[in-house]
Amino acid sequence: MTIITETQVLATVSATDVSSIRDRFWTWKRFVTPLIVVVVLGGLLAWVSSLQLDSIEARTLNWPYIVLRVKEHLLLAVSASALVAVLAIPIGTLLAKTKSKVLKGVVLTLANIGQATPAVGVVILLAIIWQTGFTTALTALVIYAFLPVLRNTMIGIQQVDASVRESARGMGMTPLQVLFRIELPLAVPVILAGLRTALVFAVGVATIATFINAGGLGDMIVNGLKLQRYPVLAVGAVLVACIALLIDWVASLAEDFLTPRGV
Amino acid sequence: MNKRILPIVAVAAAGMLALTACSSADTVSGSQGTELEGLTGDIGAKDFSEQFILAHITSQLLNAHGADTEANTKLVGSANVRQALENDEFIGYWEYTGTSWITYNGNTGPVQGTEAQFEATKDADAANGIAWLNPAPLNNTYAFAIRAEKAKELGVKTLSDIAALPMSEQTFCIESEFSTRDDGWPGLKAAYGLDIPDSNVALLDTGVIYTATQKGDDCNFGEVFQTDGRIPALDLVVMEDDAQFFPAYQGAFTLSQATLDEYPEIAEIIDLISPLLTTEQMQKLNALVDVEGEDPEDVATDWLTEQGLI
Repeated sequence: MTIITETQVLATVSATDVSSIRDRFWTWKRFVTPLIVVVVLGGLLAWVSSLQLDSIEARTLNWPYIVLRVKEHLLLAVSASALVAVLAIPIGTLLAKTKSKVLKGVVLTLANIGQATPAVGVVILLAIIWQTGFTTALTALVIYAFLPVLRNTMIGIQQVDASVRESARGMGMTPLQVLFRIELPLAVPVILAGLRTALVFAVGVATIATFINAGGLGDMIVNGLKLQRYPVLAVGAVLVACIALLIDWVASLAEDFLTPRGV
Repeated sequence: MNKRILPIVAVAAAGMLALTACSSADTVSGSQGTELEGLTGDIGAKDFSEQFILAHITSQLLNAHGADTEANTKLVGSANVRQALENDEFIGYWEYTGTSWITYNGNTGPVQGTEAQFEATKDADAANGIAWLNPAPLNNTYAFAIRAEKAKELGVKTLSDIAALPMSEQTFCIESEFSTRDDGWPGLKAAYGLDIPDSNVALLDTGVIYTATQKGDDCNFGEVFQTDGRIPALDLVVMEDDAQFFPAYQGAFTLSQATLDEYPEIAEIIDLISPLLTTEQMQKLNALVDVEGEDPEDVATDWLTEQGLI
C-alpha cells in the first residue's frame, strides 16, 4: 500500500509541478473520459433498446428503477467519501505530528485491517450483529476507504521540506500556524490524490450494499447474475464502471482547481 | 442477548464447517456391486448445505456400486454449477425443476403442478443434452417464515391471512433475485391481493434473511427455502401457501445424456435414494449440518448406512 500511495504522491506532485497546466486547463485531453463514458452509455442504451426484454428483465431495465439505483449508489459512495475525508484527514494530521510510534502503529494497523478485510464479510457481519440498511453499508464503506486518505495525509505533511518548515518557524510562526498555513496547503495535492482513490474504491465497493437492504447498483448486478439475465447484469456493471470513471474525472478537476498556486 | 446470538453462532459455525468440508474419496468402493466400474469424476453441488449433503450421498452411493467419484463442493452459484455440467466438468448434480425451467431455460412463468413442471423441464433440458432422472419428493420451493411467537400474536397461519393485517405489520425480507421473478414478489402480491409499498420490503442476502427474520427488526415475514434446517432451529414457522402460488422446486439428479447412455445403471441406482428424500427428511439432514454443525460428508455416510445402501 505504501508503495502505491507514494507513487500516487509522485504522480500528483510531478503533474502539478508543471505550472503551465493551469493555463491549458481545458485542453481536449480533459474531455477524453467523459467522451468515453458517453460513447459507452450510448452503446449500452442502443443495445438494450434493441433487445426483446422478458418480464423479469423489464422489472429492472426501466428508467425509474435505474435512476433510483444510481441515486442510491451515488449517495452511498459520495457520503462515504465525505465521511472519510472528515475523519481521516484530521486523524492523519494528528498522526503525522505525533511522536508516539505506538499510536501511529495502532491506527495504521487498524486502517490496514479495514482495507484488507473483504468488504462483503464486514457488511454481512455488521448486518447480523448490528442492523441492516444504509448506515451499516456506509460504515463498512468508510472502514474500507479509510486507509488511502489517512496514509496520504500523513505522507503529504511529512514530505514538506524541512527547510520550508524551519524558515516558517524562523519568521515567527507558531507550530499551529506552520501546520495550517504551510504544511497543510502544501499537502493538499497528496491528500486529494488519496481522496480520489477513496472515492473510486467507494463507488466499486458500494455494490455490496445490496446484500443488506441498502440498494445501489449491486441490486442489478446480483439480480442479473442469479437469474442469468445478462442484460441486467451488464447494465449494472457498466453503470458502476461509468460512475467510477466520471467521479474520478470530476475529482481530477477538483484536484487541479484546489491545488494551491505555485505548488 | 445470548439466546439471540447462540443460534447465529451455530449457523455461522455450521457454515464454516460446510466450507471446510471439501471433497475426499469416500467409503468402501464396490461394496454393493461393480456395475459402474470405469465411471470416474466429480459430483457437483451448489453452495448450500442441502447440495453438499446430496452430492456426498450420491458420490458415496455411486462408489458403492463400483464408480470412483468425489463430491466437488467448490463452486458458487447455480448458474456456474450448471455451466460446469454442460462443460462436462461434472458427472452430474442435484437440480431443482423450477430453477432449470426459469433460470436456464429462460421461461418467466412456472408450469402448474409438480409433475407437469417436472415433465416440462425434463423435455426442455433434453434439447440441451441434459437428462433428468426420476425426481425425489423433496420440494425446496420458496416460503415465507415468521417468528413463532409473532405468528401467534398476529394470529397468522397462511399467506392469505397477511392481507388482513395492519399495513405496519405487513413487512417482508426478500432477496434481490426474488423481487423481480414472476414466480416471486410481483406474482405473490398479485396472487394474494397484497398491496404493499416498497418501503415495507427489505432487500437482503439469503443468509441475512434468516437472522433478520428471527430478529424481527427489518420484517415480520422472511423469504426462506422450504427444506432449510434453520427454519426449526431459529424457531420460525412457515406460512402455508394456501393459494398454491409458488412453483415446484422438486429435486432430481441431472447428468449429461451421454453419461447416462454410457452408464444406464446410474438411473436405477439413483432410484434407490430418490423416493426416500422427502421435504421433511431433507429438513432433518440439513439441520444436522446447519444447526448441529456436523460435516455434510458424515451426515451422508450415516444416512446411507442407516438406509442400508452402502
